[in-house]
Amino acid sequence: MAASDKCSTKEKLLAFLDDLEVLTRELIEMLALSRNQKLPQPGEENQVLELLIQQDGEFQELMKLAFDQGKVHHEMQLLEKEVEKRDSDIQQLQKQLKEAEHILATAVYQAKEKLKSIEKARKGAISSEEIIKYAHRISASNAVCAPLTWVPGDPRRPYPTDLEMRSGLLGQMSNLPSNGVNGHLPGDALAAGRLPDVLTPQYPWQSSDVSVNMLPPNHSNDFMLEPPGHNKENEDDVEVMSTDSSSSSSDSD
Amino acid sequence: MATGASATEEPEDEEEEEEDYSFLPLVHHIIKSMDKDSQDVHQELNELKNKFQEMRRLIGTMPGIDRSPEQQQQQLQSLREQVRTKNQLLQKYKNLCMLEIPKE
Repeated sequence: MAASDKCSTKEKLLAFLDDLEVLTRELIEMLALSRNQKLPQPGEENQVLELLIQQDGEFQELMKLAFDQGKVHHEMQLLEKEVEKRDSDIQQLQKQLKEAEHILATAVYQAKEKLKSIEKARKGAISSEEIIKYAHRISASNAVCAPLTWVPGDPRRPYPTDLEMRSGLLGQMSNLPSNGVNGHLPGDALAAGRLPDVLTPQYPWQSSDVSVNMLPPNHSNDFMLEPPGHNKENEDDVEVMSTDSSSSSSDSD
Repeated sequence: MATGASATEEPEDEEEEEEDYSFLPLVHHIIKSMDKDSQDVHQELNELKNKFQEMRRLIGTMPGIDRSPEQQQQQLQSLREQVRTKNQLLQKYKNLCMLEIPKE
């Protein structure tokens, strides 16, 4: 019984079919023989016939079972599709969760870095007054930003002019040749910050005072961009720059 | 799983199946022909032979009979269990509170 349970329905059906074929053949042969020999052997024929009827009935039952199994198979196919769909849903969800984890980990890392820098800034705090003084100092010469009224075509800054580059510390260090190419100005005079009156650029929007302020005799020191200190000299510089800035801003008005 | 429409058609189909898959009517016809010494017996014997072949072909194409009903039921239960577990897992993922913001 246990062995028959392990057999597939297909195997059982085929076995039944073989049995039925054998029984029908046997029955027909027996009937044919009995007709030819005219020897009635009803007992044996009846036995075979009964067996055939019984096998046929069992075969019918098994065929019903096979059709039922077909329906179950269809249900299983639907369930398998559902399982595949659920699997893909779960994989999609896991992928999204991984992405979210990555984004959150990055955000947490950046936030920690920010907290570190905040802590660092707290430890090495610089007074705002000091920063403002330094800002005044670097902005007074228009070295880092254009004048407020600057438009394209305006020959003033926003960029350091040839004249200013030569009069700066770098110009002094590079020991440029005295005969400038393309009509450049003599290096000595520029390096010293002293220009002949003829070569001093005169712009209609500049008063003579402003032009002098733009290139003071010690102008080269303005480009050194030293960090702000507490010495007296620096403070004086800042005051001079503030005056310069205010004068230029008043010009722009 | 069967719908209402298919359920109403089922008994008719089963009747047809029973008629189609029984060999007794053909055997009965053969015996009758033999009793009458009719020449149709050869034709009917051929029909019986063809029917056996047809049945073998049909059994070869029927779905879901490669295993026993018990094994099939086990697999069906296993699949149902898988779907149930996966549904639970998805529900669990959906109900997860990913961002619990601490209230200060």
